[in-house]
Amino acid sequence: MEKIIYAIIASNHGHTELIGTMKGIQGISGSAIYVLSFNDISVAVSDFTPSKYTINKELAIDFARVIEELSQQVTLLPIRFGTFLKSDKNINQLLINHYDSFLNNLQKVENKYEFGLKALWDYEKCSEKIRVKAESEAVKAGDYFSKSTIHTNYLLEKINKHRLEDALLKHVEQLIEEISRHLAQINPDCKFKKMVTRSIILDAVFLVKKSKKDDFIQAIEALKQQHDDLHFLLTGPWPPYSFVEITID
Amino acid sequence: MNENKILLNSAPVDEFEEAIEKIENAATSRINATPDNADHGLAKLVLTLIELIRKLVEKQAIRRVEGGSLSEEEIERLGETLMKLEMKMDELKGVFNLTDEDLNLNLGPLGDLM
Repeated sequence: MEKIIYAIIASNHGHTELIGTMKGIQGISGSAIYVLSFNDISVAVSDFTPSKYTINKELAIDFARVIEELSQQVTLLPIRFGTFLKSDKNINQLLINHYDSFLNNLQKVENKYEFGLKALWDYEKCSEKIRVKAESEAVKAGDYFSKSTIHTNYLLEKINKHRLEDALLKHVEQLIEEISRHLAQINPDCKFKKMVTRSIILDAVFLVKKSKKDDFIQAIEALKQQHDDLHFLLTGPWPPYSFVEITID
Repeated sequence: MNENKILLNSAPVDEFEEAIEKIENAATSRINATPDNADHGLAKLVLTLIELIRKLVEKQAIRRVEGGSLSEEEIERLGETLMKLEMKMDELKGVFNLTDEDLNLNLGPLGDLM
């Protein structure tokens, strides 16, 4: 039998109080969760026999459910699904070895929620709009070479394609700047991924103080009003999946 | 996704579902080599790397053209080389039944290679 780890938890109010707070939360497939502690941090685990289960999407979703329920009660660092250790002794050693790093990360996410924001556009429509705008700057044959051949025309086409890609990227960067300006007062930690697919131009995550949750949602709502050409999907609050930076050997 | 977690959605749900599905597909697009398809898995990996290098060469070449440091003859040769490289890549993709979308690698937290 192995131990599956769900989360590292801040337990500055003591081990006993933590157990009381977590009462009623079940581990994956109905298993019992228990807690191991070292100083003011703890770890939520349950027994797990890998051979009894099929590791599939449903189990991963159930694992996420456990973290979600725990996060509603305590400040935690979610652990990646599928992290097993052999024994309680190993887990205690893990807490001791990574104590400082766990504590720093817990302080970083304390009293904060994670939100996800995706911005989506109609690629064909928007790129056409940007293409028309960029057309005035488009390179013509005579700009770099006087002869027009099949090879120089090929190069010309490539140059203009690259320019359009740069213009699209610039457009997304302007949007990121605008979002950052919009959220300046809320001052969340944020991470942006640009042009995730042709249609999802922005995939962002924010770490927002719990007290600023409503302000944050309103700010995104206002942003939506200003961009008819974009669709927004705002989700959350989530446990701080994207803001934990720990490498466990 | 749990609907309680959606705080704001200004798009038709199917548009987002379609887009997110594409991300999930990309995330699972790893080199899946088994004894039965080892040559295909290897071809995909090798062609992905060649395509990455080809695109870098193309970018660098365009930068040089825009920089104005090349003669007309050099530009002509550059155009011809890049064109032939792309045609050769298309031919190789055809041989191994791969599309442009196949020629990418998901690098986990770093995102996609290209």
